[in-house]
Amino acid sequence: MEAIWLYQFRLIVIGDSTVGKSCLIRRFTEGRFAQVSDPTVGVDFFSRLVEIEPGKRVKLQIWDTAGQERFRSITRAYYRNSVGGLLLFDITNRRSFQNVHDWLEEARSHVQPHSIVFLLVGHKCDLEAQRQVTRQEAEKLAGAYGMRYVETSARDAINVEHAFTELTRDIFALVRSGDITIQEGWEGVKSGFVPNVVHSSEEVTKSDRRCLC
Amino acid sequence: MSVPSGSPERVGSSGAPLLLECPSPSGMDPDPPSTGSPVLSPDSSAPAASPADSENLSPDELELLAKLEEQNRLLEADSKSMRSMSGSRRNSGSSLVSSSSASSNLSHLEEDTWILWGRIVNEWEEWRRKKDKLLKELIRKGIPHHFRAIVWQLLGNATDMPVKNQYSELLKMSSPCEKLIRRDIARTYPEHEFFKGQDSLGQEVLFNVMKAYSLVDREVGYCQGSAFIVGLLLMQMPEEEAFCVFVRLMQEYRLRELFKPSMAELGLCIYQFEYLLQEQLPELNVHFRSQSFHTSMYASSWFLTLFLTFLPLPVATRIFDIFMYEGLEIIFRVGLAILQYNQTDLIQLDMEGMSQHFQKVIPHQFDSCTDKLILRAYQVKYNPKRMKKLEKEYTTIKNKEMEEQIEIKRLRTENRLLKQRIETLEKGQVTRAQEAEENYVIKRELAVVRQKCNAANESLEKAQDNIRELQQQKYTEQFVSNLQNQLEQSKLREAELQGALKEMQDKVLDLEKRSTCLPDENNMAALQEEVKQMKLRELETLHSFKEMQDSVTELNQRWQHHMSRGSTTGGGGGHWKESPKKNAMNELQDKLMTVRLREAQAQAELREVKLKALQLESQNQIHSKLIGRNDQERSALQDRLQMLSNQNKGLQAQLNEMKRKQSESDCKSKEEVMAVRLREADSMAAMAELRQRIADLEIQKEEGLIQGQLNHSDSRQYINELRDQIAELKNEVRQLRGQKAAPGSRLGSGVGGTNYQDLCLASPASAEGDYLSSDEDLLPSPLPPGGLYHGLSGPCHPSARLDSEGSTDSEVEERALTHPDPQQLYGGMVCAEALDN
Repeated sequence: MEAIWLYQFRLIVIGDSTVGKSCLIRRFTEGRFAQVSDPTVGVDFFSRLVEIEPGKRVKLQIWDTAGQERFRSITRAYYRNSVGGLLLFDITNRRSFQNVHDWLEEARSHVQPHSIVFLLVGHKCDLEAQRQVTRQEAEKLAGAYGMRYVETSARDAINVEHAFTELTRDIFALVRSGDITIQEGWEGVKSGFVPNVVHSSEEVTKSDRRCLC
Repeated sequence: MSVPSGSPERVGSSGAPLLLECPSPSGMDPDPPSTGSPVLSPDSSAPAASPADSENLSPDELELLAKLEEQNRLLEADSKSMRSMSGSRRNSGSSLVSSSSASSNLSHLEEDTWILWGRIVNEWEEWRRKKDKLLKELIRKGIPHHFRAIVWQLLGNATDMPVKNQYSELLKMSSPCEKLIRRDIARTYPEHEFFKGQDSLGQEVLFNVMKAYSLVDREVGYCQGSAFIVGLLLMQMPEEEAFCVFVRLMQEYRLRELFKPSMAELGLCIYQFEYLLQEQLPELNVHFRSQSFHTSMYASSWFLTLFLTFLPLPVATRIFDIFMYEGLEIIFRVGLAILQYNQTDLIQLDMEGMSQHFQKVIPHQFDSCTDKLILRAYQVKYNPKRMKKLEKEYTTIKNKEMEEQIEIKRLRTENRLLKQRIETLEKGQVTRAQEAEENYVIKRELAVVRQKCNAANESLEKAQDNIRELQQQKYTEQFVSNLQNQLEQSKLREAELQGALKEMQDKVLDLEKRSTCLPDENNMAALQEEVKQMKLRELETLHSFKEMQDSVTELNQRWQHHMSRGSTTGGGGGHWKESPKKNAMNELQDKLMTVRLREAQAQAELREVKLKALQLESQNQIHSKLIGRNDQERSALQDRLQMLSNQNKGLQAQLNEMKRKQSESDCKSKEEVMAVRLREADSMAAMAELRQRIADLEIQKEEGLIQGQLNHSDSRQYINELRDQIAELKNEVRQLRGQKAAPGSRLGSGVGGTNYQDLCLASPASAEGDYLSSDEDLLPSPLPPGGLYHGLSGPCHPSARLDSEGSTDSEVEERALTHPDPQQLYGGMVCAEALDN
């Protein structure tokens, strides 16, 4: 049966090729780490429920995108209907960090008139010995663009849950405050499966109670 | 959707090798098989879609074909119990050992197949020319594993390529894509035996081929996904050959366009696929749309990796066989067949469900019934002409989009510029308001100043009149200078006069002196009288002098007398002796004598005093007379002096008058100069103000011009046009939404479609098109079409059969006509997106 959730958020995961987007998502949605995985050709889709507060769950629809630049013609169609995004770079690959700006530009130019709440993710933090990007500079960059910064490892399952739930909480807060609204014809945020759910906090709690009964 | 690489199906699975599990080494024997009945039994399942050029076929071949069919059927029936072993070329040696389930019947058929394919390979050109249809048919049934290397090369026309000689050279070069290739190599068929493990031979050759290609075709370089195709080739053939086939595939099979950095061809494929979906599975299409399940989500990997990452390798290799012969068409067909097969499941699922279905269920649906999939694929209607048309449409749409994007970019920049301009103008307006206020104040001041100016002008005019008058009266500076000259002259004159006065005074003094010296005519008589008196006094004095002389002589005589007497009396002492009487008398005589002398002296003195008194008297008289005359002269001179001082006073007064007049005129002239200067300053100020005003007006004019430009410029018009367009597009979108909102009506119309779909499914022969119809007549005992696939495709409707020949095409046309124009639809979507953007 379908689980009870207040909202459905669509997230997009972007970043250079081989920074570990698919692995991170797989770790999050399937709880396992594949040593090797196919290069993503086009766009893949995953979903998972996240409990942001006790009894309050949000469904995440996650788009995994191909990192190679030429696939952008396909992937850019997915920005528009996303409310949040994980921008990954590989801490052992400086180039992927340098491309963060390009990715943001790419996303911003294709998300209009909406906006995406981004989380900067420094991936593969288990490979500390090969680190090429320091935490400080990554935090500085994230701060410059108004993003949070998290370092994760899909292999060692470090911060994977944290990254997704933090982003979900941020979006949830924005939805609550009315900065993000549910719109007809936009798939970024959808209200929960319980009928008559209106996205004011009062209504949400009411419906919440009803669900629990 | 890529399949998780860890899927067990890919491990140890082989590319449809079952047909090859024949131990006979005579597989390459070109001779036709001697065994086998030449007669086709009516029971044997003659291929429903028998080749059009069947007259070219020998009876053996027909029989072989029939046997193949049979074998496939058996295979599929038996598939559950069968597991193929051979995974790759490398271990193909062991795979040739027949599997446990291979029956003698099968091996017999395999032998035939081997023989047949051996012939085909040997007589390739002839087969290509004369028995193409049969070849196609055979390929659809699957190329035996052992023949794939050569047949793929032959099909790709890649047997003798000059680029092959470059290969070793290319390997020595370094490619810019090397790093990325290296990263992806480990992710290509990672579970496959041949590619397993780092630095395995498989990875090495895969890297080589990918690198070589990236050097040959710099534009494409390396594209993720292509390694799977090369990997498949490498499972069948050595790297040089695989490289050649891959080059051919890229060049001749649209793959190059697919993998180009712009990936425009992929967009086209998806567009075409969407059209087919909309045309043939409208309900599913609507469902996908409602769930916003984009075609690119599942179909992009289908096209880019030719199902190699989606379906298990054996199935994908079968599709690849056909792809080698027919190109991308098979991808469309298979994709659509898959969707059709899963339509009922998918329609009940939401997005996640569908995604899961695509990831987990579909890939393994056809593991044991690949032929079913391929058969279904061939039942899909695919109209190459229509596809061409769609391609044209797509390119025009894309071009238009590009143009629009360029236009939008241009408009955006223009808009930005205009906004900046508006901002500056708004700022300008604020300052202008301030300026206007200031202006107002200044205007008022100006008015006041003007009044003043007018007054000043009037006074100036008056002054000018005055000046004119003065000029007329010659009260000009000349006059002033004249006056000054006059003044100087008068001063000179004054000085002269003073000099003259002094001279005169000197003269007067001289004259006075002279006049004292000179006897006056009036005084002559008095003077003569004086002279007479003087002469008289002289005479008197002379007379008294004579008297005196007489007295003196008398006295002298007396004295001598006396002396003589004294000398006689005396003789020295004797006198005394003579007599005291005589002495007393002598003494008395002496005394008398002295008294007399004294008397004479006193008389002389008296006379002298009298003379002196006379002289003084006369002198006094003269002096008094002189005083009188001097008094007269003095009074005269005093009169004259008074007269001169009067004259001087008059001159001084005149001078003062002159000075006053001069200072007056000086003042006047100064005033005039000042007035003129004031006027000048005023007029300068007025001029400056006027200039300012002119500048203001110019600015206003410019602003007006700009405003005019803004109001009437083309861009404005263009923006308006665009707005109109946008409004129109909005309307369209609304209409489209209206259509969407009423899916019931669509569904209603879709009922006919589904029915029709069923019909199509039921009659594969009709799907094959016209060329097969002639074959049906030629066949000795045509089976009811679809009989073979009865179990697969559901009940065959007799009425459907009746219709199938006649009505299919017309219905196609009708459906094509009634269907909403995809371009319009797509255009609507694009516009909606553009609107949102």
